[in-house]
Amino acid sequence: MTNELSANEEIFPKGTNKSYAIVELVRGDGPMVGKGPEKTVFSFPVVLLWEVLLLLGVTLALFLFSLIKQAPLDAIANPQVTTDPAKAPWYFVGLQELLEHMHPTLAGIIIPGILVLFLVSLPYLDHSRTHAGVWFSTRRGKRITVWTALYTAIAMIAFIALDNAFSMRESLRGVAPPWVAQWLLPALILAVIVLIPVVVLRRKGASTREVMIALFTVMLASAVVLTISGFLFRGPGFEMFPPWNMPDGYNPWNDF
Amino acid sequence: MAQSKPIERLTQSRVWRSFFRHGWPDNPLDRSLTMTSNIFFHLHPVKVSRKSLRWNYSFGLGIMAAILYGVLVFTGILLMFYYVPSVERAYPTMKEIQLSVPLGQFTRNMHRWAAHAMVLVVILHMARVFYTGAYKPPREFNWVIGVILLLLTLGASFTGYLLPWDQLSYWAITVGTNIAGYAPVAGPVMRELLLGGTEVSQNTLIRFYTLHIALLPASLVLLISVHFWRVRKDGGLAANEAPDAE
Repeated sequence: MTNELSANEEIFPKGTNKSYAIVELVRGDGPMVGKGPEKTVFSFPVVLLWEVLLLLGVTLALFLFSLIKQAPLDAIANPQVTTDPAKAPWYFVGLQELLEHMHPTLAGIIIPGILVLFLVSLPYLDHSRTHAGVWFSTRRGKRITVWTALYTAIAMIAFIALDNAFSMRESLRGVAPPWVAQWLLPALILAVIVLIPVVVLRRKGASTREVMIALFTVMLASAVVLTISGFLFRGPGFEMFPPWNMPDGYNPWNDF
Repeated sequence: MAQSKPIERLTQSRVWRSFFRHGWPDNPLDRSLTMTSNIFFHLHPVKVSRKSLRWNYSFGLGIMAAILYGVLVFTGILLMFYYVPSVERAYPTMKEIQLSVPLGQFTRNMHRWAAHAMVLVVILHMARVFYTGAYKPPREFNWVIGVILLLLTLGASFTGYLLPWDQLSYWAITVGTNIAGYAPVAGPVMRELLLGGTEVSQNTLIRFYTLHIALLPASLVLLISVHFWRVRKDGGLAANEAPDAE
């Protein structure tokens, strides 16, 4: 009894000039129930300092790079004299590489169109809220990313190298109608490259998120391989040359 | 805060207080007011989670892209003072910028490299957002805005590529716009709309210039604002959704 009284006195001490009280105890779905301690900081000044730091870092890097590397300026434009090779800027050179292997409508319009469509619809295809805010979602997600990237790199390099050595366009000339070499076969090969990881993952009971990770990684890794191939390995006439064997005056870094 | 008399008189003055609606931000209330009463700061929430501040979560790529955009606007405006978008004058003014304008070559370098860097950083930012699953609800629509921003960034970079009017730009744009011509049905019309004719010419130069200095930057500012605003409205970085495991 006395114990209870002293506890009571401890919670509601008499003769204090503070005015506070427990209003109610909540068990249930209140906004902060079950959220644990709040781990937040005031944005001022931490976030702003981060941003100032990034601002200084980025501008300093640009500043230094601009001191040592000059922006290129070629001879004045001349519609009568074609440059060789006429390369697109680096972020489109992957598309240009793709153009070498199939019909331009397929490489330049349909495939980029599908990619944009894929990107836009991605959050509506994978709409689960689980594992948001975690890199690669899970350990398995990380493994899927690494293996898909590796697989795609090998498959795309093989595709580019083989098509370059035994051009479908040339070897099927006269054997099959042009749409077979220009449309059907390349589309089929790319579809197979894209679908293999999807089928493998589906069979292993992968989640939609994991399939999306594979698809996105196929896209990203293909873009990287195609860009490197177009940027570093294409010389005069957009022919394939190894960088160490590039004819003089075709250094791809020149126009960069 | 021990403040000297003149400073105190300044910060208490009618003029100062018409600018700043808060006191020195050394306490929670004034720190909150600093963020909410300033148009540039109010894109930030008053408080952020420690999780979302970890550098190896976001790598600051989104902010870096915005900074690069700022550098591009600044250097771009400087270049506009000298550059003339006509077939006869474009190349000579480029030479002029490089040879006789004080810091002209340097400003052009900054603009060029910032443009390349922005494309790269925007792509990396997209990869970061994807691999951290930050496109998941309720952030779906902000992802879509991000995809549009990527396309606008590519467009801004591509239209700027033509402006020096040298061999490099002329033939790169010829190659690029030829691809547009291969679109089924609408291809030739699209290509002609872009070029203002059948080949890269004066019409193309003025079209690309207008897109490059007006339409695309304005669209970018608009959508970047929406993009930032929605990051806040959707609950900050998706790092906040991750379970606590520190």
